[in-house]
Amino acid sequence: MTRNRYNLAAAGAVALMLLAAGAIFLYAPTDALQGPVQRIFYLHVSSAIAAFACFFVVLVGGVLYLWKENLAADRIARASALVGLVFTTVTLVMGMEWAKPIWGVYWTWDARLTSTLVLWIIYAGYLLVRRLATPGRQAARFAAVVGIFGFADVPIVYGSVSWWRTIHPGPVVLNDALPPAMLATFLFTMFCTLTLAAVMVVIRYRIETLQDTMPIAEVVPSGAVSATNA
Amino acid sequence: MRSFRVAYAIARKDLLSEWRSREMVPALAQFVVLALVIANFGFQIDSRNAPAIAPGVLWLALVFAGLVAFGRAFTAEREQHTLEAVMMTGAPPTAVFMGKALGAAALLVLCEAVLLPALTLFFGTPFSPELVIAVLLATVGMSALGCIFAAMVAQLRARELLLPLLTIPLWIPFIVAGGQAVQVAMGAGGELDKALWLLVDFDILFLVLTSLAARFVLDD
Repeated sequence: MTRNRYNLAAAGAVALMLLAAGAIFLYAPTDALQGPVQRIFYLHVSSAIAAFACFFVVLVGGVLYLWKENLAADRIARASALVGLVFTTVTLVMGMEWAKPIWGVYWTWDARLTSTLVLWIIYAGYLLVRRLATPGRQAARFAAVVGIFGFADVPIVYGSVSWWRTIHPGPVVLNDALPPAMLATFLFTMFCTLTLAAVMVVIRYRIETLQDTMPIAEVVPSGAVSATNA
Repeated sequence: MRSFRVAYAIARKDLLSEWRSREMVPALAQFVVLALVIANFGFQIDSRNAPAIAPGVLWLALVFAGLVAFGRAFTAEREQHTLEAVMMTGAPPTAVFMGKALGAAALLVLCEAVLLPALTLFFGTPFSPELVIAVLLATVGMSALGCIFAAMVAQLRARELLLPLLTIPLWIPFIVAGGQAVQVAMGAGGELDKALWLLVDFDILFLVLTSLAARFVLDD
């Protein structure tokens, strides 16, 4: 029964992403200056927002864990860190795809690029701490500390680099610079991406809960265990 | 008041044991000079390009020397289980952490006392009070951050591997602002005051954050 619900949620999220793809490629008009490359923008910005949302959850989960020793808060932080890292990777890769034709280079040490890369490294470190610490209290405490420091560090890296150099396009959405069809596509893509992220976090949370509370033989079907051992 | 006494006692203990063994400082000094040798052959440094390259060499040498220093900061404590003993005395974890950070920072300052003159000697870049102030300001925050993660990884597996991965991303703000300050101090254009005040801000922020986090990292 529960398994069915997760399958349904996953299928719904995938369907939404396909709809978003349809909107991006069929509904949204082609940009006059940048051409079809501009279509990267919709998913690029959406996944960046999804990643930040995930890392914010990691921060809140970490603070709650340190404050109340709440195990659920720690599990949700764990799940969000992984999903956030995936979306950061998507953001970085798509950004580079866009930068090559528009800026002429894949990478430049701009404030946003630098801080996103630092974000990626910090949360990759977060997952490493989780793996290397003794599972339980120690892993949760240390990871929470890394998550809190990481969240504090990223705006600072952003600020300190942007004192000296930045070329990344400004926030076009907030500045009302998008035509209505593009804005609608962007908002829809953002909604779909956030839903996908939420579904991924929920599924991952379920996995973490099972791993924490059940002996391994009950989580993994017996066939799978013997397959991995062989 | 008691916290200050505890921090002072811990820092004094660390520096005294370093003074008796004299292991870290000579090794770090040698490490720093070697970094300059590598930079020289890596960059083909001459009097024209030295002012552009020297700031980068300074920060690279300092970051890696710092990682070595902080990586060793908790080695003896771990091997002899003395940290548990210190924590059992009921000393406030923040004070113990500050003491450890102070001791490690002192070692890093000694290492800078070799690095900065060596840079002037070998690369011919100007040695100015501004340069010293920028590097010392960066050392404060970098030591606090380095020490909190050193305390953390000392209790983990693969600690040598994890320390740089956790520490360097958090040091980046200091390297950005400090790098700018050192470039200005060595003759590049720009605003020195802004970079120095930024370093002060980062120092305050990370001193507060690390003292808050010390309880969760040390008290297990």
